[in-house]
Amino acid sequence: MATNSASNCFRAGRSLLRGLSNVSSGMLRSQQETPCNSFLAQQIRTFIQMRSNLKVVDNSGAKRVMCIQALKGKKGARLGDTIVASVKEAQPGGKVKKGQVVYGVVVRAAMQKGRCDGSEVKFDDNAVVLVNKQGEPIGTRVFGPVPHELRKKKHVKILSLAQHIA
Amino acid sequence: MRLEKCWFCSSTVYPGHGIQFVRNDAKIFRFCRSKCHKNFKMKRNPRKVKWTKAYRRLHGKDMTQDATFEFERKRNRPERYDRNLTENTLKAIKTIDKVRSRREETHLKNRMKGKAAKERREAKKEHDQQIHMVVAPGALAKDTSTKTAKVTVKVQHELSENRMEE
Repeated sequence: MATNSASNCFRAGRSLLRGLSNVSSGMLRSQQETPCNSFLAQQIRTFIQMRSNLKVVDNSGAKRVMCIQALKGKKGARLGDTIVASVKEAQPGGKVKKGQVVYGVVVRAAMQKGRCDGSEVKFDDNAVVLVNKQGEPIGTRVFGPVPHELRKKKHVKILSLAQHIA
Repeated sequence: MRLEKCWFCSSTVYPGHGIQFVRNDAKIFRFCRSKCHKNFKMKRNPRKVKWTKAYRRLHGKDMTQDATFEFERKRNRPERYDRNLTENTLKAIKTIDKVRSRREETHLKNRMKGKAAKERREAKKEHDQQIHMVVAPGALAKDTSTKTAKVTVKVQHELSENRMEE
């Protein structure tokens, strides 16, 4: 009787082990596959919509804002559009405080946008420059490249402050 | 209007074609088509991808140093329009193109110079090594020992036809 139960235990243990080994091999395979499929798994960039986090690239004092409303278009905002955002992170002693509701112009977007000649342009990240209700920038400097499409949107001030125009 | 070069394959990007990616340090990557853009996203090195101009130049497939390449250059000073100058330029384009294609042809010819001799050498080597596998055409006819007598097999056609009728 005792020997019987022992053998049963052994069998069960072996089957368990086999299961484990199967699982581990499966995991290994998946790990090997991931680098090949990394470009397929790359995130598809979309509109800037409610709850999108954006970097603030001026010296207004805010560091990160969250979009709470795109002012144009059903789907969301794109490059050059104006959004309403709430300040999530801010530097102490800046012009804007955390929790404040601000307006911002999207100066860089990871989603590509068509140019007037039919080609497309896209950027590394989603970035915003804070403006007041009249569309004048709150800060006095703009960091990084901005697209020349902002001229069409009547944001010449941002273009003149920018370091690089792409 | 400016005809840019594709960052990946160095082909000409005509206006309205392709996509451009602006990195956060304001470096602009232009791509002629989605093929090049995807290869860039896969972090491939154009010097290691065989169909790009960079690879072909690096590995001596294409002509690299030639006076005809000097005409195609990025000029940042806009030229004042001059009818005669434009006319001459348009004439020169054809001539230069002819000269370049001729030189490219000679380059290719020079590159392929030793190919026929090399192929012959390799074929001779293979022939010498594998000669024991070749059997003379008369040898098979003479050797009757391996041949077996033909056996006629009766095939019952009628039975199958009857079945089809049923």
